[in-house]
Amino acid sequence: MSIIKEVIKNFFSKPSTIEYPRKAEIPVEKDFRGEFYADLKKCTGCTLCALECPARAIEMKKLPENIKLKHNPRGLYPVVNYMTCVYCYRCVRVCPVDAFITTPNYKLSSVKEVYSEEKTLKTLGMG
Amino acid sequence: MAEREATTVIKIPITLDIPIGPQHPAIHEPVMLKIYADGEEVVHAEVNTGYNHRGIEKLMEKNSFYKDKFISSRVCGICNAVHENCYTRAVEYLAGLEPSPRAKYIRVLAMELERIHSHMLINAIMAEVIGFDTLFMYIMRDRELVMKAKEILTGNRVEAEIHMFGGVRRDIDDVKKDKIMDILKKLEPRLKYYRKLFEEDPTINSRLAEIGILKPETVLGYSLLGPILRGSGIKSDVRAEDKYDAYGEIPWTVITRPEGDSLARMLVRWDEALESLEICKYILEHLPQGPAVVDERKLPRVFPPGESYARVEAPRGELVYYINSVGGANPYRVKIRTPSAVNIINSAFSYVGHSIADVPVILVSYDPCISCMERAIVLDLKNNVEKRVPLKYIAQKKVRL
Repeated sequence: MSIIKEVIKNFFSKPSTIEYPRKAEIPVEKDFRGEFYADLKKCTGCTLCALECPARAIEMKKLPENIKLKHNPRGLYPVVNYMTCVYCYRCVRVCPVDAFITTPNYKLSSVKEVYSEEKTLKTLGMG
Repeated sequence: MAEREATTVIKIPITLDIPIGPQHPAIHEPVMLKIYADGEEVVHAEVNTGYNHRGIEKLMEKNSFYKDKFISSRVCGICNAVHENCYTRAVEYLAGLEPSPRAKYIRVLAMELERIHSHMLINAIMAEVIGFDTLFMYIMRDRELVMKAKEILTGNRVEAEIHMFGGVRRDIDDVKKDKIMDILKKLEPRLKYYRKLFEEDPTINSRLAEIGILKPETVLGYSLLGPILRGSGIKSDVRAEDKYDAYGEIPWTVITRPEGDSLARMLVRWDEALESLEICKYILEHLPQGPAVVDERKLPRVFPPGESYARVEAPRGELVYYINSVGGANPYRVKIRTPSAVNIINSAFSYVGHSIADVPVILVSYDPCISCMERAIVLDLKNNVEKRVPLKYIAQKKVRL
């Protein structure tokens, strides 16, 4: 009988592991190497980040036709594939205009490919 | 050849052929140990490797020196900082770059934090292998403290990525220094407790002590490296011999133990972790002023032709990088010799003579062996007598058939 008592007790008790990500948060440092994306207000489309990426996670894409930027004559911007990226921050360090915005966000797991396209286009404030 | 009537039949018992690995709960690396056992006793062992061949050396030839820095740190997850340190120093020797004193100290801090958590990990695995799972959980919990310290210093728990040619990639300020110091103060009593536990606990002692006693000449003969070497009483450490980076300026001692058994190797690791802790504290207190971070945009694109060779003391032993450059952006050849390659491949002899249950213990501490006691039955057909002799006596012709 005691085992049944134990089972019933454990059925209603809290799990002893950390309930990530539903309840528990894991605090990280402010300068943790997490999610990052390009700032279109600064990016000149020089392609250096895509050339220097050790994981080939950055692809240069054409800007949408309604966006014309003076400082970006070729109309290119980097799109990071977060599933390929190794978060070494080589692109952040080699960027000649410091165009990358870095965040400590580490919650990037997903079942499909995630790209930085949306976040980068939002930096212009146009949605 | 003239026919002779048989007077003796030698019956060799069936040896069990047990593959341990490449995927096995006791083995944390994709290596296959083919164990031939006579009953419980191991009579022969083969080490089969190649399950994790990723072609990294070829990959490094095809990529630039800068991309190779990030590839080299991914050769091994646990000792990534020493890998990048070795590669970075080899390229620095080639290009004639010299890091600042502060950068050297920060590099050593990253590597020593890594040594602490690597030694804690292997001791935790040893606890798990000998069936002490609670101790495994405890050590892994306290290892998280070191991972947090590494996160504060480098920006990631595991992959440091702190080295760059001519310096480091991020500096450390007073707030971070205090945070790491607090963590180290919390860690010190834990390390001392575990060291005491490994030294005094009767269960651990009876499981590890006297298992695979390795004489100094055997260790040297099979070119085993790192804590195995020092666990057998040989005072050899690349940090003391080469005095690379800031090791020449920091007071520390090489730890050796004369016993040469599994327990001695594990205790050498605990003592080294405590020594690394002292090194970390010294660095945080005596960090030189000046610039440390190097601007990656101003570094040279191409490197001169030539050869360079660097070695570091990784947590598992001596790690060697050889770089051959013919000029240009890519290296011509990068040769990596990791300590585990030497230790695992050369340690097949060490399993013979032990029981199968000891194989994981020996593998975890990379132990050697003493003798082979494979047995055969000799039947004397004339007198109808049966006797048992070790097979090696037949091979050595010590027994009359």
